[in-house]
Amino acid sequence: MPHIISRTSRMPQSRCHVGVPEHGNVFPGAVQVIVKTPDIQSIFTVANDASVKQFKERLSAHFNCQLEQLELVFMGCLLRDHDTLSQRGIRDGHTIYVVIKSKHGSRSLAHPFRNLLTNSPCHQDRSTKGNSSRVFPSAGMSQTKVESPLLMKSDAPNVGTQNPDVESPEHIAQMLENICVQTLLSNMGQLNSEYPDIQELIQHNPGASLLLDNSEILGQTLELARHLAIIREIMQIQRPAQNFEHPLNPQPYLGLEMIPNEAYGLGQSYNFNDQMFSGMHDLLGDNSFTTLLAGQVVEQVQTPFLSPSPSEEQWDQFPTAHVTYANSCGLPSTNPTHATPNNVSHASGGTPATAATMGQSHVCAVQQPAGIPALSSIAVTKELQEDGKGTTTSLGSSDQGVEDLQQSDEQTITQITGGMIRLLRNHPFIAAQMLLLMNMPQLNEQWRQQPPTALQPLQLSELLSALANPKASQAILQIEHGLQLLATEAPVLLPCIESYLWSLGWFPPSSCSYPDPMPWAWNVPDTAEPQWPECCHKPGTVLQRLQPLSGDSSQSQQAPEVHFRKQMECLQAMGFVNYPANLQALIATDGDMNAAIQKLKRPQGL
Amino acid sequence: MEPPNLYPVKLYVYDLSKGLARRLSPIMLGKQLEGIWHTSIVVHKDEFFFGSGGISSCPPGGTLLGPPDTVVDVGCTEVTEEIFLEYLSSLGESLFRGEAYNLFEHNCNTFSNEVAQFLTGRKIPSYITDLPSEVLSTPFGQALRPFLDSIQIQPPGGNSVGRPDGQS
Repeated sequence: MPHIISRTSRMPQSRCHVGVPEHGNVFPGAVQVIVKTPDIQSIFTVANDASVKQFKERLSAHFNCQLEQLELVFMGCLLRDHDTLSQRGIRDGHTIYVVIKSKHGSRSLAHPFRNLLTNSPCHQDRSTKGNSSRVFPSAGMSQTKVESPLLMKSDAPNVGTQNPDVESPEHIAQMLENICVQTLLSNMGQLNSEYPDIQELIQHNPGASLLLDNSEILGQTLELARHLAIIREIMQIQRPAQNFEHPLNPQPYLGLEMIPNEAYGLGQSYNFNDQMFSGMHDLLGDNSFTTLLAGQVVEQVQTPFLSPSPSEEQWDQFPTAHVTYANSCGLPSTNPTHATPNNVSHASGGTPATAATMGQSHVCAVQQPAGIPALSSIAVTKELQEDGKGTTTSLGSSDQGVEDLQQSDEQTITQITGGMIRLLRNHPFIAAQMLLLMNMPQLNEQWRQQPPTALQPLQLSELLSALANPKASQAILQIEHGLQLLATEAPVLLPCIESYLWSLGWFPPSSCSYPDPMPWAWNVPDTAEPQWPECCHKPGTVLQRLQPLSGDSSQSQQAPEVHFRKQMECLQAMGFVNYPANLQALIATDGDMNAAIQKLKRPQGL
Repeated sequence: MEPPNLYPVKLYVYDLSKGLARRLSPIMLGKQLEGIWHTSIVVHKDEFFFGSGGISSCPPGGTLLGPPDTVVDVGCTEVTEEIFLEYLSSLGESLFRGEAYNLFEHNCNTFSNEVAQFLTGRKIPSYITDLPSEVLSTPFGQALRPFLDSIQIQPPGGNSVGRPDGQS
């Protein structure tokens, strides 16, 4: 009978030569195997030709259980008593799993829902493809289907009412869904009149009618909404308990919860996506100008998430959040290397300046090669105000930011997460927008039929003041970045965007190419009617136009007169006596004398 | 001797981001991630997964996530349902309790990997188990780590797996 030596340890030890004995005998036919139980891992040395039964005997002594309770599993195979270890191919270093059965008899899973068939009464609100066969029995339910994805309540769907075997019911479900969904969506017109909720929705937000009328947009939007709601549902964020300042809003889009910031003292579990929705809406919702800019698509994507009447208080909450964030980010990080002049004035300029300055620092980022991920630069500049860092990748910038910020306390982490959250907040909708645009080129037809939103009625002053709104410039930036991104990712889609934008009344169709920089209307103050640039194939230049203007209006930087004083003097010496025109030209060309002269020489006008 | 029964073992892979990760990861992380993977093991006509609520089971595809995005064939096992449930119960009491959940270190994929190895001796594909390190190797991941650490994933729709009578 060969000696059997055993050695147990908590941590797996490195494999030393086989058979170093404690009791003295070396013999070559032994293997070291790792024995794993659910909680511990041990190493056993056992003879090659030992039988499983013998091994079990050892193990039962070791684990203090009966032989019958032991089950050994190797490579998915149950080891029978009469086998030997070598027969099963067990070599050095292999792992054998040990299951110690409980003393009582066999168990089976508690599956209360296992036998529920698909016809159970529907209290679920989701319309997953796999289990949606029960969703469609009546028109009443179909309204639920529309409404509930809009609201995405989280109470019902926690019950697993799924078939155990999804394969065949899934086919049926899919067929059903196709038919019913098609019927449903194609009859949306009837639904509109029949259900007052939808009426209200449309009244409150006219874009919704476009969404609801086009079944494909609706389908895609619902799909997106569902996905995001699922993510929200699945993710929970554990935080130490805090005071509830506001009760958790049942309507999912209006997330009052925010990522760690004690200033709000908000509730216990947060929801990441809520900020995405609410932030975006806040960004876009309260400014007619940005609504125009951002386009109906985004609004349409937004609309399903909105219930008709958000409460005032909640909206107030969020702008405050923005303000506070802006302020907290405005506090210059203590490291002076990161405090550019912009940053300093940033802090002192107060909130309205913040986004404008941000806009300016964006300009530098934007004008760099398009490889720079556009929106990450928003987050980066928000935290770090890296003016000249355009050439580095965003990774590099974030690196620096991380180093810097690791020196500070949680407030900095708040800033980062705040920035990232803004990033994520802004992103999904742009992504969604692009998604929709890319997937449905026929949307362009749709929009062409819409009366183009005309900008002519806007007065110049309105336009200027609208542009002065930092959120407006932010929105324009996003569009630019989006366009840039699109240009790099899928330039073939740019004509689609163009026709879409054209239908909004922005500018004439794509046949025009970008001329020499045309002075904008407010370069010539006496022109009442504003004009957009002819084409946005060079998005960077759009923002070039914006920057000096927003800089003007927000007065967060040196006054242009001061800035361009030298050039102004030169121009005047040359004979250009029209002081305002000179100034405008210099602003537009950013101090480039030659270009400014060119501009001044050309006839001003529309 | 009669041949042992072989039960197929599958790995259900879900993308938690529903495609958003594939689109946004180059911008946010600087590298391309195909998805944020959540996995579960399907054997004996049941799906088993690990979340912040411990080990759960449900009918295959029965969580809120719906049907899986990918199904990977892990292999076959001789382990019977009875033995498997015993194993799971003891796992759930030791290594895979609910509070042991950590998004990076000890998540659903850790569990799936463990169970797959128990059942078949094979590991799950590395692109799934490498995901946390992929994310953490980016500045974004590092910066957001404290926040991400506090995230817990628990797909609704499952029932807890445990010993009914508390025997050990």
